[in-house]
Amino acid sequence: MKKSVTTKASKTTLQSRRLFYCIVPFIILSFLFSYFPLHGWIYAFYDYKPPLKLSQCDFVGWKWFQTLFANKTQVAQIVQVMKNTLAMSFLGILTSVFPIGFALFLNEIKCKWFKNVVQTLTALPNFISWVLVYSVAFSLFTDGGMINSLLLHLGVITQPIKFLDSDAHIYSWMTFWNVWKGLGWGAILYLAAIAGIDSELYEAARVDGANRFRLMKEITLPSLMPTFFVLLMMSVANFLNNGMDQYYVFQNSFNKEHIQVLDLYVYNIGMTGSSLSLATAISMLKSIISLILLAIVNFVSKKTRGESII
Amino acid sequence: MKKRILSLLLCTVMTATTILAGCGKETTSSSGSGDGNKDEFITVDVFDTLANYQGIQSGWFAKVVKDKFNMELNIIAPNVAGGGDTLFQTRSAAGNLGDLIISKTENGRFENMVKAGLLMDMTSLLKDKAVLTNYKEAIDLMNGDLETKGIFGIPGEISNQSPLVSSEGIEPLVSPYVRWDSYKAIGYPAMESLEDFIPVMKSMQENTPKSDSGKKTYAISLFKDWDDNMMVGTKNYASLYGYNEIGFVLVKADGSDSQDITSSDGYYVKALKFLFQANQAGVVDPESTTQNYDILSDKYRDGQILTSLWSFQGSSYYNTVEHKNMGKGFMPAYIKGSSPFSFGCYPNGNGKTIIAIGSQTKHPERIAEFIDWLYSPEGMEMAGQANGAAGIEGLTWEMKDGKAVFTDFGEKALPNNNVPVPKEWGGGSWKDGVCALNFKTLSIVDIDPRINEPYLTSMWSSELAKRTTPLDLDWQEKSGGAKTTIEFLENNHALSVAPGTSYLQPEEGSDITTLRGQCKAVIVDDSWKMIFAKDETEFNSILKHMQDTVKGLGYEQVLKVDMKNAKDLADSRIKAVEEYNNKSK
Repeated sequence: MKKSVTTKASKTTLQSRRLFYCIVPFIILSFLFSYFPLHGWIYAFYDYKPPLKLSQCDFVGWKWFQTLFANKTQVAQIVQVMKNTLAMSFLGILTSVFPIGFALFLNEIKCKWFKNVVQTLTALPNFISWVLVYSVAFSLFTDGGMINSLLLHLGVITQPIKFLDSDAHIYSWMTFWNVWKGLGWGAILYLAAIAGIDSELYEAARVDGANRFRLMKEITLPSLMPTFFVLLMMSVANFLNNGMDQYYVFQNSFNKEHIQVLDLYVYNIGMTGSSLSLATAISMLKSIISLILLAIVNFVSKKTRGESII
Repeated sequence: MKKRILSLLLCTVMTATTILAGCGKETTSSSGSGDGNKDEFITVDVFDTLANYQGIQSGWFAKVVKDKFNMELNIIAPNVAGGGDTLFQTRSAAGNLGDLIISKTENGRFENMVKAGLLMDMTSLLKDKAVLTNYKEAIDLMNGDLETKGIFGIPGEISNQSPLVSSEGIEPLVSPYVRWDSYKAIGYPAMESLEDFIPVMKSMQENTPKSDSGKKTYAISLFKDWDDNMMVGTKNYASLYGYNEIGFVLVKADGSDSQDITSSDGYYVKALKFLFQANQAGVVDPESTTQNYDILSDKYRDGQILTSLWSFQGSSYYNTVEHKNMGKGFMPAYIKGSSPFSFGCYPNGNGKTIIAIGSQTKHPERIAEFIDWLYSPEGMEMAGQANGAAGIEGLTWEMKDGKAVFTDFGEKALPNNNVPVPKEWGGGSWKDGVCALNFKTLSIVDIDPRINEPYLTSMWSSELAKRTTPLDLDWQEKSGGAKTTIEFLENNHALSVAPGTSYLQPEEGSDITTLRGQCKAVIVDDSWKMIFAKDETEFNSILKHMQDTVKGLGYEQVLKVDMKNAKDLADSRIKAVEEYNNKSK
């Protein structure tokens, strides 16, 4: 009796060990690419000056963290940068409902080839780099660009409108470009989710006399909610990471005050000013804030929806 | 079961190899032979912060190098790779920049490279080499202040002329180049001051309203790509009066004045005001704010822009032979009281850039020989072709009646044209074969002992004699017979030559660098806003915003450093002239 228990136990250990070995490569990978780079944080505490080795540089402790808040003007700059970052991330999250709506309506189109054409055409901009997007924007919206020439010729305006080099509506502009670029791509996930909805649900609802809009509202939309919330939570964790390439190509002296998001700020003062230690310090702060945000969202989600992602 | 374990193993091995593949040391195919024996063909990795081309040097210059040294140059160019200093940082972290190193030195970089063990001591390698015997003083001065004794770097642009001679040959750093045809059409109006330039530009714009392709013309067009401590397009107007930048300070060429750029009565703010007024008068291209250098260059080629301060922008792009024969093109006008800035020659070399040998190289002897050759007259003619020297004797130029002249081929190919090179000279196109190192070993205006004329072909008597197009003749007539811009300015005593010195900006603290980064962003942004301000009130309020913000950030600390550097630079200029005079006595 006793013997059989031990064999059983050793069998399960063997089994779980085997399973464990299966995930070992992935543990190694995530350690290498996600945790190992964290040792670079040490640069934030040194006055690092390449080409010198770290051992040849001075240890400065918390100096770089203090520099960020050294005086009123510095704080004002950081506050402005955070405002921009949060505002644009927030707008990004607000507009993340657009792909759902788009997918919902696209799904209702019965003409298959037209649906496919629309889907492909809207997904394409996602693959265009921001540099190219800017060159399109430049030829459309600059003073001698298409839009201004058109309006001037039609006599709508007498002076070219400054679209690119003005501070007005910069958040909306950036959000507009983002939506234009990401709409079709974002809808793909939802279209896939829609395809997975049980068709019996629709049939039953139709029998009960639901029209097309009721079907969309009562069945398709609620079925998409879990996907939406997972994506939402993931985007909140990336709240501070709204990327920099978009803002980098669109930035100029006139809109910089409101376009400079955290990543771009790090780039502008860290890389172009070649102060790697300071840039490391800022990105450390950023990781910590992101972590806190994720924990909060996760907590809220657990409380309100009973689901969590971590 | 077995299968599963096998696949698991395979999986692990594959992951491991992928990871480890990145860690392996680069294996070099060639090894050994530290001596000067050239039997073995080698590839030399050149880490070159000045180069604008990345990859293996090709064409006629590659053939010259192969025939002479049995090697090829693999140029690694941070400028092309992009990402600012990243390439330098990663390579130096690996402890091996390259076999041959051409690098900037300021802000303590040279000292740090030596300290980090990236450069090789060349003392024994250069013994008995001409470069050391000829330029010992310059080399000793460059390496004198290092903690480790030895020869680690050789400065560029070494000259045997007075520091008061312009090192730029025929065109200074800046000059008020105007579209001469347009200026002629409005009757060559005289300009008493910079302010007079605005109405002149306005009438030029009215006179020439359309470019060659029918687009609207503007007198001034700016771009933002090269803005650093301040807005370059604005600083250039201060340079018209003999000032150039060091940090946040403008220093006069002779060292007699140093100005804080944010001060309301300094030349920088004056230049901002000038551009603001020009914009109010409607002569500034509104696309200035968003365009880049390439877009602007195309506008110059099309004739959309009517003035230019840089000769390499206006005249290089628009003064084609065809245009010049039509009497069209950029020529310098004269603004009374101006005195354009020009860099003087460096009797002790320009230590801002050096050439050095990497500490890990396997072929130090051969690289030392190559460096020695670069500093020889023949090396200057060939490698210096990128900066206007003549190229290969017998192919692009020859001696005729004791004078250096272009051959028919040179006529077509020089300075930098897309002309096929005969097979026996290396093939390819002339332009693609030009030496990509972009490092000036000797001053391009020095006399080539082989021809008794400057290396710079545009200064050859045979070349100056060719300036006979309608455009040239008209300009020469109005300019008192001068053949070149520098000659013209010198005749008017209106050229500010900044004596070339061995002064190097010392290393600054990281906190200063950080503050500088923040301050310059404010200065550049507000400068642009000031030029395009609606009215005078807005102009003044942005100026005040700029002054207050940088002050709040801690500008004073940075300015203190820059002022000290400016003073040291000014002192070194005075000293350089004295030293040269004493020596030549």
